[in-house]
Amino acid sequence: MKVAFGFKKLLNKGKRGQIQEKWKFDSKSSLLAPSIVADLDNSGKKHILFGTNDGKIYALDKEANVKWMFNAQEQVDDVELMFFDVETAHSIQSSPNIYDINGDGKKEIVFGSEMGTVYALSFEGELIWKFKAGGSVRGGVIIGDVNEDRKPEIIFGSGDGHIYILNNEGQLIEKYEMGSNIESTPNIIGEKIIFGTNDGHIYCIKHTGEELWKYKTEGKITAQPSIGKIFGDEKNYVIIGSLDQHMYAFDEQGELIWKYKTDGAIYSKAALADINNDKKLEIIFGSCDNNVYAISCTGEKIWSYETDFWIVAPVIVDDIDKDGELEIIAGSYDHNIYILDAKGNYMLDYVPGLSSVLQQTGSYSDVVTTEPGKIVGKKIWQYQADGVVVGCAFIDDEKNIVVNTRPGKINNLQHQER
Amino acid sequence: MVEQIERVKTYIQGFDDALQGGIPKGHVVLISGTAGSMKSSISFNILFQEAKAGKTGLYISLEQSYESLYKHILNMGLNLNLINIEHIDDLGRIGEVVNGTKASDKGTIIVADMGCIRKEIKDIRIGDNKSWLNVIKNIVKKIKAETHCENFVLDSLSALYTLSRFEDPRVELFYIFEFLRDMGLTTFLISEMPLDCSKYSEYEIEDFLSDGIIYVRLTPFRRNVVREISVVKMRATACNNDVYSLEFKNGQFQALYGGQNPLL
Repeated sequence: MKVAFGFKKLLNKGKRGQIQEKWKFDSKSSLLAPSIVADLDNSGKKHILFGTNDGKIYALDKEANVKWMFNAQEQVDDVELMFFDVETAHSIQSSPNIYDINGDGKKEIVFGSEMGTVYALSFEGELIWKFKAGGSVRGGVIIGDVNEDRKPEIIFGSGDGHIYILNNEGQLIEKYEMGSNIESTPNIIGEKIIFGTNDGHIYCIKHTGEELWKYKTEGKITAQPSIGKIFGDEKNYVIIGSLDQHMYAFDEQGELIWKYKTDGAIYSKAALADINNDKKLEIIFGSCDNNVYAISCTGEKIWSYETDFWIVAPVIVDDIDKDGELEIIAGSYDHNIYILDAKGNYMLDYVPGLSSVLQQTGSYSDVVTTEPGKIVGKKIWQYQADGVVVGCAFIDDEKNIVVNTRPGKINNLQHQER
Repeated sequence: MVEQIERVKTYIQGFDDALQGGIPKGHVVLISGTAGSMKSSISFNILFQEAKAGKTGLYISLEQSYESLYKHILNMGLNLNLINIEHIDDLGRIGEVVNGTKASDKGTIIVADMGCIRKEIKDIRIGDNKSWLNVIKNIVKKIKAETHCENFVLDSLSALYTLSRFEDPRVELFYIFEFLRDMGLTTFLISEMPLDCSKYSEYEIEDFLSDGIIYVRLTPFRRNVVREISVVKMRATACNNDVYSLEFKNGQFQALYGGQNPLL
C-alpha cells in the first residue's frame, strides 16, 4: 500500500544536494533482508523485489505500485505447524536472486523460505518450479554455471546441513553433507563453491563435492563470502566475516592472508570497491560494534565511522549523487541510514585542544575523535527510517535508495540537487 | 504510595511468610533439587490450590506420563474432584481441551503429556526449523491466548535439554526466559540438580535469568533422610533465606523450624 508521497528535508553538509523521501510502502509484515532492484523484462524499467516475514514476494515499480505479489506461504496442518516458530514459520529471510535461468531473455526470481522450499518465479511472478530441501533455506541462493554445462545451476545451503546444487529446472543434481547447518549465502569462483556454516567453518568445495579447503573460525558464519581481485592483479581473494568478530581474507587456495578484528559480530557480506583510486579494492563492512569499517586490501583500517547501534545489513558502495565520487550507504539498527564519504576525511587542520572533543553520533559534526593526520569516517547525509534497518538497495539511474526496515516499511529516498 | 505486588502462594504453610506472602506474579522461578525432593509435587500443588480458587494452570510434563502423575497426585491425597483436569495427549486435541476449560465452572489444570504426544507423532522430522521446543512454546501460547491461564509448570528443564539440542545454550536459554516473561505467566521450571548439589541448574545461566530460585534438598540424618527447603533468591521480595524442614502431612505442605536445627 502506498502510504505517502512527501518530501522530507534531510541533513546535508559538505556535498551538494539533499536526500529526500520520495515514497513509503507498507508491506504489512516485518522484513528481514534488503530489496533487490532489477529490470526483469529488459524494458528499461526497474523493479524493486523483496520477501517478507509472512512469506510473500513483492515486485514494486519505481512509484511503489505493486506489479505483482507471490504468496509462498505453505499449507501446513495444524499439528505440523506446532513444530515451527509461528512468528517466522513462513518467512523469507534473504533477498531473492534475479537471473535468466532458462535463457529466455527475461529474468527469473529465485529464493528460499524458512519452510525449506526454493522457488523460481517468472518475471511476471508466476511459479516456474519449486524444490523442497530438508531444512530451512535462510541464506540466499547463488546462480552460476559451476559444472560447465552452459546452463546455470542454483546453489544454496540449508538448515539440514547440506549444500544443494539444482539444475535450472529445479531438479537436484547433488547435495553434500557439511556437518553443520548453513545460513550463509554461497558464492562461486568458476567451479568452486565457497560458503560458511553455523559451526564456524568456511568451506571451498568443487561442484563434485570435493573439499578444496576449509578454515575454522570461532563463530557462526551468516555472511556471504565476497570475491574480488583486491590487489588489482588477476588473483581472486575470498573475504568473509564471522560472528567471532573478525573479517577474514583468503587467497583462492585457502591460505589466510589476514584477519581484521572488530569488537562485534559481523553478520553480512563485505562490499569490495576501490574507494581511494589506488587500483586496489578496499573492504567495506558493518559490525555489531556499531561501526562501518573501510579496510585496505592488506587488512589495515583506513577509516571507521560509529553509528549508535549494530550494523547487520550489508553496506552499499556507489556514487549516490553522480559527482564522480563514491559514497557508502549503511543502515543501522539505530533506525538510521548513513551516507558516508567513501574516502573518509583527512584530518589536516589541527586545533590544539579540539582533538578530544567527541563527535556526536547520530548528528552531523565535523569535529572528530581521532588525532590529526589520520583519515576518519565522514558522514554526508543521514536519514531516520521507521525502524531497524535490515538493508538498502540503490537504483543507479534514478539516484534512489530503497531502505527496508524490520517493521515492514520500504522507504524510497532520492538524491536531489538543491 | 507503594504499589502492592500481587503474589502467588507456594501453599507451603510457613514458607509463604518467608516470601512476603508468595512469589510475585509473572516471575519465572526455578524449583531446584535432587531426585525425590518433591519438586514436582510442590509445583503441582500450587496449580491445584490455585485451581481450587478458580484459576487455570498449565503443567507440561516431559518425562512423567499423565497416568503416573495422576496416580501420584491421588496418592498425595489431593481431591481432584474439586477442580477440572484436562489432558493433552495429542496435539490435535488442544482445541477440545480449550473448550473443556472454558466450559468448566471450576478452576482447571491442563496437563500436557509430551511423552504421549511424541508417541503419537511419527511422520514429522525434527530439523533446524522444527523442534519440540517450538511445540512447547506453541502449547503455552495457545493455552495462554485462549484460556485465562495464569500459572505454568515445566517438568523439567533437564528433560527439555535432552529433547532439544541447543547449539548455543546460553543464547537459546536467554530467549526461552524472555519468551516466558513475555507470556506473563507465573512460571515454575523444575530443575534437576546433580547429587552433589553443586549447582542449581544445568548451564548455571538459568540461575541469573530466573527471577527466583527455590531449593529443595534431601539431607541424611542418622538413618533417615529429611527434606529441606529454602529460598535462594526472589526478585522484588525481601525474602527470608532460612532453611526449613519440608513436611507433607494430610494433603498439606509445611515448612518448619526455619533457621533452627530440628534434628537435634
